[in-house]
Amino acid sequence: MVVLGVVFGFVYWALVQAWNGLAVLMGPAGDLAQHVLFGGWLLVAPIVVAIVRRPLAGMLAEVLASVVEVVFLGSPVGPTLMIAAALQGLGSELPFLATRYRRFGWTVFAVSGLLGAGLVFFYSAFRGGWYGQDVLVLRLVLQLVSGVVLGGLLAKVVVDRLARTGVVDNFAIGREAVARA
Amino acid sequence: MSAAPLARRNPTVKLALVFVVSLAVMFVLDPITAAVLYLLALGGVALGTRAPARDLVLAHVPFLAFALGVLVVNVLSRPGEVLWQAGVLRVTVEGLSVGAALAARTLVVGVLAVGFLLSTDGVALVHSLRQNARLSPRVAYAVLAGYRLLQDMPKEWAVIQHAHAVRAPWRGGRPPRGPRHLGRVVFTLLVVTVRRGERMAQALESRGLGLSPRTSWRPVRVTPADWLLAAGVLVVLAAVLAGSAALGVLRGPGALG
Amino acid sequence: MPEPTAVELRDVSVHVPRRTEPVVSGVDLQVGAGEHVLLLGASGSGKSTVLQCVTGVVPHSVNARLAGQVRVVGRSTDETSVVELARHVGVVAQDPTSAVCLPDVEQELALPLENHAVDPGTIGARIDAALGAVGATHLRARATGELSGGESQRVALAAALVTDCDVLLLDEPTSMLDPAGVGDVRRALDTAVARSGPAVVLVEHRLDDVAGERGLDGLPGRIVVLEAGRVRADGPTGAVLREHGAELLRAGCWLPLDAELHALTGATGGLEEPRNRAFLRSLADDDGGSPGPPDGEVARPGPAVLRARGLAVAHGGTPARRRRRDRDPAPVLLGDVDLELRAGEVVGLLGPNGVGKTTLLLTLAGLLPPAEGTVDGARAGMVFQNAEYQFVAHTVAEEVAHGLTGPVAETVAHALAEHRLAHLAAQDPFRLSGGEKRRLSLAAMLAHDRPCLLADEPTLGLDRRDTVAAMASLRRAADGGKAVVLSSHDLRTVATVADRVVVLAEGTVVADGPTAAVLGDRDVLRRAGLRLPPLVAWLLEHAPAAARRVLGRLDSAAAEPVPVGAAS
Repeated sequence: MVVLGVVFGFVYWALVQAWNGLAVLMGPAGDLAQHVLFGGWLLVAPIVVAIVRRPLAGMLAEVLASVVEVVFLGSPVGPTLMIAAALQGLGSELPFLATRYRRFGWTVFAVSGLLGAGLVFFYSAFRGGWYGQDVLVLRLVLQLVSGVVLGGLLAKVVVDRLARTGVVDNFAIGREAVARA
Repeated sequence: MSAAPLARRNPTVKLALVFVVSLAVMFVLDPITAAVLYLLALGGVALGTRAPARDLVLAHVPFLAFALGVLVVNVLSRPGEVLWQAGVLRVTVEGLSVGAALAARTLVVGVLAVGFLLSTDGVALVHSLRQNARLSPRVAYAVLAGYRLLQDMPKEWAVIQHAHAVRAPWRGGRPPRGPRHLGRVVFTLLVVTVRRGERMAQALESRGLGLSPRTSWRPVRVTPADWLLAAGVLVVLAAVLAGSAALGVLRGPGALG
Repeated sequence: MPEPTAVELRDVSVHVPRRTEPVVSGVDLQVGAGEHVLLLGASGSGKSTVLQCVTGVVPHSVNARLAGQVRVVGRSTDETSVVELARHVGVVAQDPTSAVCLPDVEQELALPLENHAVDPGTIGARIDAALGAVGATHLRARATGELSGGESQRVALAAALVTDCDVLLLDEPTSMLDPAGVGDVRRALDTAVARSGPAVVLVEHRLDDVAGERGLDGLPGRIVVLEAGRVRADGPTGAVLREHGAELLRAGCWLPLDAELHALTGATGGLEEPRNRAFLRSLADDDGGSPGPPDGEVARPGPAVLRARGLAVAHGGTPARRRRRDRDPAPVLLGDVDLELRAGEVVGLLGPNGVGKTTLLLTLAGLLPPAEGTVDGARAGMVFQNAEYQFVAHTVAEEVAHGLTGPVAETVAHALAEHRLAHLAAQDPFRLSGGEKRRLSLAAMLAHDRPCLLADEPTLGLDRRDTVAAMASLRRAADGGKAVVLSSHDLRTVATVADRVVVLAEGTVVADGPTAAVLGDRDVLRRAGLRLPPLVAWLLEHAPAAARRVLGRLDSAAAEPVPVGAAS
């Protein structure tokens, strides 16, 4: 689980670089780029939850990824990223918690992306001073859509493919796949 | 790094301070308080890390661009008393004020993060968290193992890229670059790294990680100097906030309206 | 009160979900305190699983069902967690890249001591002692990211022994290393174990390397042979190898030369024994009748397929990065390389670790830009040291089909059949065994039918059967008209399959010519730091023209049901 957190720390950092690039491309609307890409930052939570199937594993993995981003990779966002990460993780984990870590279909993942993006939006809005801006609603919509697609559906695709490779057989996901077969 | 005064301070204390200040600054919404905090932070970092000016300036670049973006978005998208209008574009006083504040806040957090990174070794931080913040040894050492994986990732990425490029069709004599290719490289990297991580986890277990009780070879302590640093930073922060409140300059989240 | 046996397995069987047959079945094994045992068997015979039973990984960490009793130093593994068992067991695993986990060597060795609640004041001294025992004192201050494979494994060995464990388990610790690393680890193992005296269970299949110059004396005193999950033999090393040598050869183990020759001729004494020499000579002289590789010396290579002129190679990285750093070019590894790769030829690329073999192959394949000089020719195919890195698809069939044009379905079916992968067509490539992965990577690359194939250490980590199969594929590709280049540390394999050998050393090419000529040149070998295995050395001395034929026949003899010339 920790390994996954670290791997995604790296992926997230790479995503931040991509974000910088996209922001520059988008010119004055560049600040909105973070909402478009936002789902990418949600990935690790549902993936870890689906693999490990233990409570709070997803949230911990998100926090770990943020620690790796901040401490080892020098992200300038600062340690408050960990709060955002915790909220993202919690939001992402809720639907799995609600279904008692037993259901891993498309809907659960989509809801996970939605809640992960949504829950942290309010924190980020406060932190980034978005309240009062005209574009607040636009930000929310972009972020939620990105959450569902990049943070939910893409996560399920990755989990399914990882499971096929056999590399996660020794985790809960592998055991339950075998038990069902 | 070990010559600078900040480098000798306990990493957990430093992390906590950066965290607290970043959190406090989230509630500041006037440009003057934010700017003052930034200048103080910059001074503190410059003195504390003894880093050459060039390094500090370069370190600003990532979040300077971001801060500029924040400024622009706020200036153009915040309703209020109009300062200047040209067609669709509209600049307001509130926009300028809040935008400047938010941009300055980004700078504060950014420079503190830079100060932290320049004066702290990640590995030392993990050990300190384990001993001073009661972080579980399993998590702490797993993170360090993860750091090893991280170190090798660029090299692995390059090899996997080459390996994938061999069979893929080359357009115009150049190896493939598109998102599908990158996606495959990322996935292969993920699989290979997860497997390596699992083996490392087994190696750590076989070395007894998880046995209790355990000792620590090189203890990391919180010294009086660390408490001094913490007290100093918090006092300065409180003074600035109080001072700007007294001067009537301070604005909180209410300014967002 | 008698000391408890270090390791005891009673009627142990292990079932895993994806296989109907148990991986291990009815195994009885006792290892006394301080005893050294060698665990031998073909791939898939259950060797690693037995080790996993001892560490408790089976049944606690992996999804497997354990029947029977396993006791380590008197404690039952069923009731003890993996971590608690780690108090008594030290492990050295196969993969050097995951052997060391912490940023520097000191921390790596301090960790087990901290975990065992050792008094901090003594930790420093114990680290020194452990490093001294494996001959790695000079590595103490190093960062683990900079260690070579052999160095990593030695540090891992030190970490396993630093807590004075009762049982030391080694799972193919040298199979991924170059010859220098193998030697270092082997010596380190001998010294370290002599000092601390744990019970040792060593799983290996490269017995020729483990034994080294000392032959059978270099091996542990007792051997247990596993076959399909059952104990086939258990006794003193010399006796077991003599009795079961032929079977072991067939199963794919690399035996020490003495044992191999004995299995084939029935005579002990290795190369000193006249019967063995006569046997080898008979293989050399017999040029008709039985199938075997054509005599390498008369291979008539076809036209040049890839040409490098005045080539210099550097690490480089991506082209974009090179453009930015034009003022500060990467250090040049090899210079002044003139190479011609001709159709129908297999070229062996040899050289010490780090000289730039991989970088040269990458440059020849067009993946790295040359620092100087040119590479002309059609686009080459390449297979990599770690076959997994090349996997792009989610089934074996798609993997072979990736990037192909034309009649894809036919080409794929043909390739799968030729490389014996048809029964795995729907499997995910990452689930295959080591040998299967290598076959898949070769199948997928050869399906592109490029005129040149570059292979970077294709036999790393493979057992003998898979090595021979991979070499046969390369030979077939060459016979089909391709130019094949193979970089390897395994001199015996290169001597068996290569028509021509190129040796790299001291930053350039020091030799380029027919196999027997180059490998017979002592000066070249010295400059490149290469050491010939005794068999190859003897053949080159006494029958150079037929060396390849003899080696090929020995490989086929290993696979034949009836040993050639054995006394019954």
